[in-house]
Amino acid sequence: MNEPRVDRCSLGEALIYRIARTIEDGILAFHGFGSPLVQLALHVAKRTHAPNLVLVAGATYAVNPMPPFLAPTSNDWVMDRGAECRLDIEELFDLAAAGRLGRMFLSGLQIDRWGNLNTTRLGTESLKLKLPGGGGGCNLACDARHLTLWTAAHRAVSDGRGARRLRLVERCDFITSPGHRAADGRTRKGMGLVGNGPDWLITELGVFDFDESGHVRLREVFPDTDTELVRANTAFEFPISEPVATTPLPPAAVCELIRSLDPLRIHERELRPEDRSRTFSGPDCRPERHA
Amino acid sequence: MNAAMYTQADKRTDLETLIGYIRPGDCLAIGGGLSSREPMAALRALIRAGTGDLELIGSAHGIDVDLLCGAGLVAASAESYVGFEQDFGMAPNYRRACEAGAVAVRDSCCYTLVQQLRAAIAGLPFMPIRSVKGSGFLDLHPEFKTLECPYTGDELILVPALRPDIAILHAQYGDAHGNLHIAGPPVADRLFARAAKKVIATVEQIVSTEELQRLGVTVPYFYVAAVAEVAYGAHPTACYPFYGYDRPHTAHYHTCASAGAGRFEDEYLHRFVHGCPDHAAYLAAIGGSATLERLASWKDGPDAWMKLYE
Repeated sequence: MNEPRVDRCSLGEALIYRIARTIEDGILAFHGFGSPLVQLALHVAKRTHAPNLVLVAGATYAVNPMPPFLAPTSNDWVMDRGAECRLDIEELFDLAAAGRLGRMFLSGLQIDRWGNLNTTRLGTESLKLKLPGGGGGCNLACDARHLTLWTAAHRAVSDGRGARRLRLVERCDFITSPGHRAADGRTRKGMGLVGNGPDWLITELGVFDFDESGHVRLREVFPDTDTELVRANTAFEFPISEPVATTPLPPAAVCELIRSLDPLRIHERELRPEDRSRTFSGPDCRPERHA
Repeated sequence: MNAAMYTQADKRTDLETLIGYIRPGDCLAIGGGLSSREPMAALRALIRAGTGDLELIGSAHGIDVDLLCGAGLVAASAESYVGFEQDFGMAPNYRRACEAGAVAVRDSCCYTLVQQLRAAIAGLPFMPIRSVKGSGFLDLHPEFKTLECPYTGDELILVPALRPDIAILHAQYGDAHGNLHIAGPPVADRLFARAAKKVIATVEQIVSTEELQRLGVTVPYFYVAAVAEVAYGAHPTACYPFYGYDRPHTAHYHTCASAGAGRFEDEYLHRFVHGCPDHAAYLAAIGGSATLERLASWKDGPDAWMKLYE
């Protein structure tokens, strides 16, 4: 395990904290499965600024659980221990369809400028890569009041044939979960979608919001990234909210909370190996305890 | 319409007879979800029986669907998710079978599936839904239609009733009559049971009807055609409170599956499926009582539980 020093926060902790800050108090929010950064963000939000959050756990549909640790898979009894009550699959999705799901969290192997996501397939004509699929992501992207998008793999990687594979793409090969506009330019309203769509996109390189047209707009970077790096790893041009801020970092108490919630550091499996060693000085940087 | 009632007094049978209810070409709804309560012993028996050309429907699945794909039994998949989450990532056999064209890709989405099952449950031809608009699923499913709502004028998507030929479930407890008790998240099992033409089930323990009533009936007997007692029938997925998720076995599975179809056949299917004539032989192959005791150790508290996943 790779626990950072007490006076430093890791990239994973910074992402969890930043996702948590998008969660309003008093709403019902759901984390899906396969998303430990988001699972932890909901628990952090509930234990800090959003005590009245109705936290629904993905895969178990447990409400306000207190897991003793984060399990490596989502549909494990670990994850629903201490739940106040439990929903079933139809109840959660009915809540969303009726407009009662305040916020949902989604990611994709391809993300475009409008926040459309692809978790289904690469290849438009022939199938080049079958992805696992979106679970309930399509339905919830349509119905949730608000969406936080995230990816811990914004940085482009080599595809092994000399080209770079980008995560933030010009166009998704398949739209699993709709964002603000379809490929033909139609808006959510024009398509008759009831949810308001994504309002945040949080990546390991920076934080975007969405402008009035529904286009991603860069707002924040990390202490070790900058606008140029974000641009170099994004397939499309994007507006910038000047001045670009440095993303707020978690106080030490939040880092300690995350470490107690996830002693197995499951959330680091969402990060690429080279990103696991990225650490930052927190806002209340203090001398190391074990000097 | 779905008129069948299963009313025999005693539906207990063995695993091989249970699997005989599945016919080639059936539409199969597999219960459980991700790393919990998958009917794995029944699926291994199905592979030994060689019943193929199956169409799978479901919400969030992993090793169950991947194993059937690796054994070449699947013709089409309308699952919403098939993978191993952040634990091991993509499902190698599923991916390979889809990319080779052996499995027709008809991905769906959880609420779409729920609405289609609800239509079947209520004997209706379709249910309306809004939440597929703007997605690629409309092109993938030309059977979805649009309708202008006669009350609001809004455009709705209609999704047709989905009536699986068989729902195959693994529950903690059942009785001889076929009543089932599921502990913990039911995932889509109750929907599957109500929508399918018939249910077949394996259970960890068959108990008296009085005891089952005390526990609570999750699936009433008249949906259920046959039930087999198969302890550790969900391994390597979890079936709490009996045993947790066998992560080391799943890691081994994933390594074999990632190494290619041939290696998967030689190193996994041969050793744990075809090479095991029955479930007892499988339990010996996975390490016998030492493995089973380790998987039961989650009960000793969070530290022991966490140790299962280190």
